[in-house]
Amino acid sequence: MRRMAGTGAGVLAGMRDRAAAYVVAAVLLLVSASAAFAHASLVRAEPADGSVSAAAPARVALVFSEPVSPIALRLIAPDGGAETLERFAVKGTTLEIQPPAGLTPGTYALSWRVVSEDGHPVGGTVAFSIGAPSASGAPAAEAADGAVRAAIWAAKVAFYAALFFGVGGAFAVAWLGAPSRSGARVAAAAMAAGVVVAPLSLGLQGVDALGASLDAVTNPLAWTTGWGVSYARTAVAATAALALGLASLRVCGLPARALSAAALLGVGLALAASGHAAAASPQALTRPMVFLHGAGVAFWAGALAPLGLALAREGAGALATLRRFARVVPFALLPLVISGLTLAAIQLESPAALVETAYGRVLLAKAALLAGLFALAALNRWRLTGAAENGDRRGRRNLARAIAVEIGLVAAILGVAALWRFTPPPRALAVAAAEPAAFHIHTDKAMADVTIAPGRAGPVTVSVVIMTGDFGPLDAKELTVALSNPAAGIEPIRRAATKPGDGTWRVDGLVIPAPGRWQARLDILVSDFKMVRVSGEVDIRR
Amino acid sequence: MKTIVLGAALAAFATAASAHVTLETREAPVGASYKAVFKTPHGCKGAPTNVVRVKIPEGVIGVKPMPKPGWKLETVTGKYARAYPYYHGVTLTEGVTEVIWSGGELPDAFYDEFVLQGFLTKDLNTEAPLYFPVVQECPGGAAARWIEIPAAGASASELEAPAPALKLLPAR
Repeated sequence: MRRMAGTGAGVLAGMRDRAAAYVVAAVLLLVSASAAFAHASLVRAEPADGSVSAAAPARVALVFSEPVSPIALRLIAPDGGAETLERFAVKGTTLEIQPPAGLTPGTYALSWRVVSEDGHPVGGTVAFSIGAPSASGAPAAEAADGAVRAAIWAAKVAFYAALFFGVGGAFAVAWLGAPSRSGARVAAAAMAAGVVVAPLSLGLQGVDALGASLDAVTNPLAWTTGWGVSYARTAVAATAALALGLASLRVCGLPARALSAAALLGVGLALAASGHAAAASPQALTRPMVFLHGAGVAFWAGALAPLGLALAREGAGALATLRRFARVVPFALLPLVISGLTLAAIQLESPAALVETAYGRVLLAKAALLAGLFALAALNRWRLTGAAENGDRRGRRNLARAIAVEIGLVAAILGVAALWRFTPPPRALAVAAAEPAAFHIHTDKAMADVTIAPGRAGPVTVSVVIMTGDFGPLDAKELTVALSNPAAGIEPIRRAATKPGDGTWRVDGLVIPAPGRWQARLDILVSDFKMVRVSGEVDIRR
Repeated sequence: MKTIVLGAALAAFATAASAHVTLETREAPVGASYKAVFKTPHGCKGAPTNVVRVKIPEGVIGVKPMPKPGWKLETVTGKYARAYPYYHGVTLTEGVTEVIWSGGELPDAFYDEFVLQGFLTKDLNTEAPLYFPVVQECPGGAAARWIEIPAAGASASELEAPAPALKLLPAR
C-alpha cells in the first residue's frame, strides 16, 4: 500500500493518494478480516449438557469456537419459570455466567443466544440437572369457570336425587307395600325434577366441554356439543328410567312393580353408560360394577323416605313394611359395598393416591360419611327396629328420626360423590400424564412421524419415524432433533438421535423445560452431501 | 448490558458471514474452465480438520484436483446424468464426482485452501447458483457439513451451513 502511495507525482497528490490508500487499505482489511470470521459454535459447556451434579454449579461457562457477545441468556427453572441472566463476563472465547443463588434441585435449561464476530447470531440450549433430573410433576387440573362448575355440581346432585330417591322411591312404593303409598309424592317430585335436570345438564356438559362461561348455555353450540359427549347416553337412559318410574306411580300392583323394576334397572344402566368409573378398564368389570352400585344405591336410598314416612305416620302396615325392608336390605348392601370397593381400587391404583389426589380425598370424605351411615343403619337394624317392632310408639318415632338422619347422610354422600365430576381419578391422571404428543411432517423430500412421550414438560423421549416424501424407506446417516420455543425465548435444544434398531430414531432423556407451543426441526442427513430439513410444531402440556 | 448492545451493533453492521467453506472466485461463465479454490477457515467446533470432501455438482465435468503436500488425494468417479460435449469435439459421459483430500491435519487456528479445476458445461442453468457441497471431517467422527442448499429463490444467508456457491454467468 505504501508503495502505491509512493507512486504519486507531487507531495500534495502523494498525501491525497496516501489518504485514499489508507481508506482502501482499511476497507481491504475489513473485508479480509471478515473473511476470517466464522460462525461461532459451542465447543463445551460447564456444567456439560445433560450432566447431573450433586450441588448447584458454582460456575456456568460456555466455551465457543470464536469470541462471542451474548444477546440473550435465560435460565429456565424446573418449575418452568424463566430468568434472564445479566451477570456474565466474556473472556476470550469463554462466556462466564454467574448462576443465580439458591438453585433448587431439578433440571435447568440455559438458553443462550450469542453473536459471533461475523455478525451471525447463533443460539442453543444446554440442560443440566442438580441432584437428579426433574420428574414430571402432577398435571395441574384444568381451571373451569366457577359458575359452570357450581351449576354442573348442583345439576349432578339433583340428578342423583332423582335417580336414587325418585326411581328408588317408586320401586320401594311398589315393592315394599308401604301403607297409603307413603313416599310416593316425594319420589314423584324428585323424578319430575330429574326430568327437567337431565336434559339441562347436557347443555352444562356442553358448556364445560367448550370451556365457555355459564351464559354460553343459551348458545345452541353448547347443546350440540353436550349431545356429543358420552354423558348424553346417561341422560337419555336416565330420562327413560325417570319416565318409567313416574309411570309406575300411576298404577298399582303388578304393573307398578314391573315398571318400577325396569326403572331401577334403567338407573344402573344410565350410570354405567358414562363417567370416570364406567370408562375405566377392564370395561367388562367396571360397567357391571357401576350398574350394581347404581341400582343398589337406588334400592337402599329409595326405600328410606317411604319407610320413614310410613313409620312417622304410624300407619297400620308400617311394621310389615319395616320387616320386609330389614329382610332384603342386606342383599342390596352386599353388592353395593363390593362394587364400591372394586371401583375405588381400580380408580385409585395405589393407596397413596387416597391422600395425594383430589379424587382420593373425595373418596375419603365419602367413606367417612358412609361409615356414619352404616353405623346409623346398624343401630336402626339391631336396636331401633327391634324396639319399633315391639309396638313401642317412641321406638317407631326414634326410628323414623334416625331414618331422616340417614336420608340427610345419603344426600350429603350424593353431594360429595358429585364432586368426582371435577376430580379425574388417579388412573385417568396417570393415563393423561403419559399421553404422548405426536405430529406428522410431510414435505416432498421427506416425511416424519414424531412422538414426544409423555407430551408434557419434563424428561421426555422423542421417537421419529422417517420416510421419503412418497412413502418410501429413508435410510438416513444421521438425524438431529432440535426443539425450540421462540415464544418463551428458548433457543433450540439439539440432540443427535440414535437408532435402536427397530426402524425408529430416538432421543432419550431430553428435558423440555416449559410447556407451550414448541417448534421441532429434524435435520436428516440422507447422504454425506445431502441434508433434508423438515420442521413442525407441537403443543407440550404442563 | 453494554456487551449486548455491542453484540447487537455487531449483528447489524458486520459484513455478511464468510465463516464457512467458500469459493475464492464466486462467479464464472459457463462453457469454460473454472478453478475452484475452497477456502477453509475453520475446523469442526474447534477440532482440526483431517479430511475435506467436495461433491462435484452435475454439469461440472473433466474435474482434476490439485494435490496437496501432506494430504492423500483420491477421487470418486461415476457416470454423469448425460453426455456432455468437452473440448475438441470430445464427449464425456463419466468422470470425477467427488474429490477427497484425507490424512492431513489442519488445526482449527489455521487456514488452508483446497483447489480443483473443472469445466462448467453450457447446460448449467445460469439463473441459479451452482453449489459445491463440502464436508470437513475431524477426529472422533465429528464433521462440519457445508452442504445446505437454499430452496429455490430463498437466500443462503439464513442457512447455518450453506454449501459454497458459484454464480454462473452466460457463456462468453
